[in-house]
Amino acid sequence: MDIEILGEGAFESALIRLQPGERFVSESGAMYRASANVEIDVTTRSGGSGGLLGGVKRLLARENFFFSSYSTSDGRPGEVGLAPTHQGEVFVIDVDPTTKWICAGGSYLGSSASLKIETRFQGLKGFVSGESLSFVEVSGEGQLLVNAFGRIVESEVQDGLIIDTGHLVAFESTLQYAITKAGSSWLQSWLAGEGFVMHFTGRGRVLTQSHNPKEFGSSLGRLLPSRKS
Amino acid sequence: MKYHIFCEPTFSAVEVSLAPGERVVGESGAMAWMTGNIKTQTSSRGGLMAGMKRKLLSGESFFQNIYSAESGPGAVTFAPGSAGDIAVHELTNGELLLEKGAYLASSEGVTCDAKWDGLRGFFNEGMFVLRVTGTGTLFFHAYGDIYPVDVEGEYVVDNGYVVAWEPSLTYKLTRGRKIRSFLFADQLLLRFSGRGRIWLQSRSPRVLASWVYPFRPVESKS
Repeated sequence: MDIEILGEGAFESALIRLQPGERFVSESGAMYRASANVEIDVTTRSGGSGGLLGGVKRLLARENFFFSSYSTSDGRPGEVGLAPTHQGEVFVIDVDPTTKWICAGGSYLGSSASLKIETRFQGLKGFVSGESLSFVEVSGEGQLLVNAFGRIVESEVQDGLIIDTGHLVAFESTLQYAITKAGSSWLQSWLAGEGFVMHFTGRGRVLTQSHNPKEFGSSLGRLLPSRKS
Repeated sequence: MKYHIFCEPTFSAVEVSLAPGERVVGESGAMAWMTGNIKTQTSSRGGLMAGMKRKLLSGESFFQNIYSAESGPGAVTFAPGSAGDIAVHELTNGELLLEKGAYLASSEGVTCDAKWDGLRGFFNEGMFVLRVTGTGTLFFHAYGDIYPVDVEGEYVVDNGYVVAWEPSLTYKLTRGRKIRSFLFADQLLLRFSGRGRIWLQSRSPRVLASWVYPFRPVESKS
């Protein structure tokens, strides 16, 4: 399997070249191009997150209920292109068995079928943060594709890092985090417009995005005619 | 005709340099800036019917503008309505099919017309596509980057991501082969076959629009 990131900057997409027998999985509907010998299957299953329950959990995570799965049908190599919704970068993460990766809702684009994908509820933490209720946890060995709104910045956390919930893309599970307020008091945080932030501690890598999709959505949404319900 | 595409691929615009007396045609509203000696003439190019077809059937404008440089050389810059790339295509007595709204500008020898695309077009961006014919330079644009793909045999593209294709290719609308994908994944695919080139865009304005939809304010009951 070979993954090429097409483009640079604002409109990146991923082109995955599959050898016979290889399989790649993406959120359903992310495929925008494919060679004709690629078989597209719809599944609720990838690694551990199988079955109906897995699907419902993903729905709650604001991910798609279904995965699309791609493999070649005729014993020859093929290619599949995946495109994100937003303007921004696509990033390849090599996942190895020693470390799990955790993606914020909406950041997951696709992964090798060898990787196990599970939805992790954040419990009260997730509710409080008002962002995604749960995260997508990726483990095993293979390649993971994440997308972001804007540029992706990779940081190595050593002495703690505070990230606005809307700017998180993915992080290694060796990190711990707490949902907390940005200012010294709740009132101050609220006045500063920075409701909730995530305070990461421990050691590991974290990916952040330069722009917050939710901010963009609400700035654009209020210019549109209102909806009935 | 000399041209220069700049700020590509994200905010592409094209500057066309005109020799005295030379002309260039632009989609209505595409002109961003031009030198002071450019004369603009608005025309329904190809006559009333062609203009009507363009306007009513394919969502482009009834009128197109013709820009000519008078008393010396001049330049016109065209910019598309959305962020994204501009592709250039040279036609020699040729034909190219464009998705609705993809036409930006062209040299005078190129004409732009609507073509009935049958029912399969209905599932796409509309029942009509743009047919560009003639000899000269054509500029078209898309939201996202534009990638040419040379097809030999077959190639599959999601229907929202096609920008242009050569008439030597035929296509049909398909869904995933499995009944499950028919039920649950409402992804419509265009299966191109034959030999020729297609141009794809790497983002879909429609996908973005449906993402923004839930952010709209909710109408109050009163």
